[in-house]
Amino acid sequence: MTAAILDNVTVDFPIYGSSHKSLRQTLFAATSKLFGHEAPRQPRVVVRALENVTFELHDGDRLGLIGHNGAGKSTLLRVLAGVYAPTTGTIRLGGRISPLFITSPGLDLDDTGYENIKTCGMFLGMNASEIKERLTDIASFSELGEYLDLPVRTYSSGMLTRLGFAIATSIEPDILLLDEGLATGDVRFATRAEQRLKHLIARSSILVLASHSDTMIKTVCNRCALLEKGHLVSIGPVEQIIDLYHRRTEAPAAAIGGAVAIS
Amino acid sequence: MKPDYAVARIDLIEGIFAFQIWTRLGWQEVKRRYRRTVFGPLWATLSLGIFIGAISFVWAPLFNADVRTYLPYVTAGMVSWSFVSALITEGCVSLTAGEGIIKQLNFPYSTFAFMVVWRNTIVLFHHLAILIVVYIALPERVSFNILLFIPGLLIVAVNGAWIVILLGMVSARFRDIPPLIGNLVQVMLFVTPIFWEPSQLGAKAQYVVTPNYLYHLVDILRSPLLGDRPAMFSYAITILGAILGWVVTLMVYARFRRRIAYWL
Repeated sequence: MTAAILDNVTVDFPIYGSSHKSLRQTLFAATSKLFGHEAPRQPRVVVRALENVTFELHDGDRLGLIGHNGAGKSTLLRVLAGVYAPTTGTIRLGGRISPLFITSPGLDLDDTGYENIKTCGMFLGMNASEIKERLTDIASFSELGEYLDLPVRTYSSGMLTRLGFAIATSIEPDILLLDEGLATGDVRFATRAEQRLKHLIARSSILVLASHSDTMIKTVCNRCALLEKGHLVSIGPVEQIIDLYHRRTEAPAAAIGGAVAIS
Repeated sequence: MKPDYAVARIDLIEGIFAFQIWTRLGWQEVKRRYRRTVFGPLWATLSLGIFIGAISFVWAPLFNADVRTYLPYVTAGMVSWSFVSALITEGCVSLTAGEGIIKQLNFPYSTFAFMVVWRNTIVLFHHLAILIVVYIALPERVSFNILLFIPGLLIVAVNGAWIVILLGMVSARFRDIPPLIGNLVQVMLFVTPIFWEPSQLGAKAQYVVTPNYLYHLVDILRSPLLGDRPAMFSYAITILGAILGWVVTLMVYARFRRRIAYWL
């Protein structure tokens, strides 16, 4: 059963300044305790990126995440991806998670296109035989032809984009996580990319997509969540939440909580 | 946050099973460093060989030693030392180097540690070429004891894996650690008997050499290469160290595995 269940998820990012992170501070604190002095307590600066976020996703859900920059969309996606473990609260996931925040993890400019397909594919969760199976598909979609035998440092940025996109969209996801702007090269490629992305989304059981584009959210998603300063303001039908977002943007409500807490 | 042994266990088991990734990345890394050079990965071997040759011929008279015994001793010692020391210094950056991926994907971080051990094993086998040259010149140094190199390598690799994981974590959290360790490793090259023999220290050896864990790691690699049998004591210490090291590493990993992404 594919599902994602978040219960009161809070994420605090510790800010390791030049002073806080240093070994000297930690050693000093430890040794002064040893000698019976009370060490001067370092204020621990944290940025609260998410606070008490609770929702459930099940088969067939296509959730759009909206909100201003810094609202916590990317952090929420990374919590779902398992990159950041919640500071408090729990998250339960069933199914294979496929985060596509970067299209070509582990890309090495000195390697050839083919070699990079293997490396990136492995990091995206494919095994060697799966990659072999999809190699022709990836190669033909990228339209790189003989260039795939050359080091990718010889590629133009558009070619790199095409390669990365072709690799990333060849996965078989249960829970697909997309951050906005999987870059898509020139116009002709953009239309083909859109088609391919649609197929990828159709193959997934659950989609979570962060985007600033209302049209994209409206065409792809069937649920929508509005984030504001780390809080989940509301989750519900797409039209309703997008409306809410625009109303709140035009008449900014009182700030919700301080984003920076010093404890 | 409570220690979560399940997280640590899953990470390590999945990491081991991701051998397709770490063997591949290990090889890639070896090739990458010397791409477009004529000698390729042999450059590291070549420079180590030149270093060993120069040191041996200049220092042998310094220690009143016969080059015929001093050269193989330094060769086997330096080859073993470069393996052990590379595990330590590269362990410090094993996680910080993976920052770009760790912050985007969830996958077993131990993959990086196994990659470091694997890559350095490949480099070690390249370095053995220097020894083969020495064996050709001095065939009497080869004996069946050389087979003991394999168990020695296994013990050092198992030790290396926990060292890399532990140092990788501590270094990700405290950025002063890598330069500190780098410095210590440099000093240890001269404190550990690589260019001199423990017996030359006389009675002091028990204070300087015996407690030196790196000496025992080097010994179980070096002695077989010289046709000798390593001291049982070295085996005992390094096997015990592997067990204790892994216990401590598991405890630290269980406690902090979930914090690593926040540190980077």
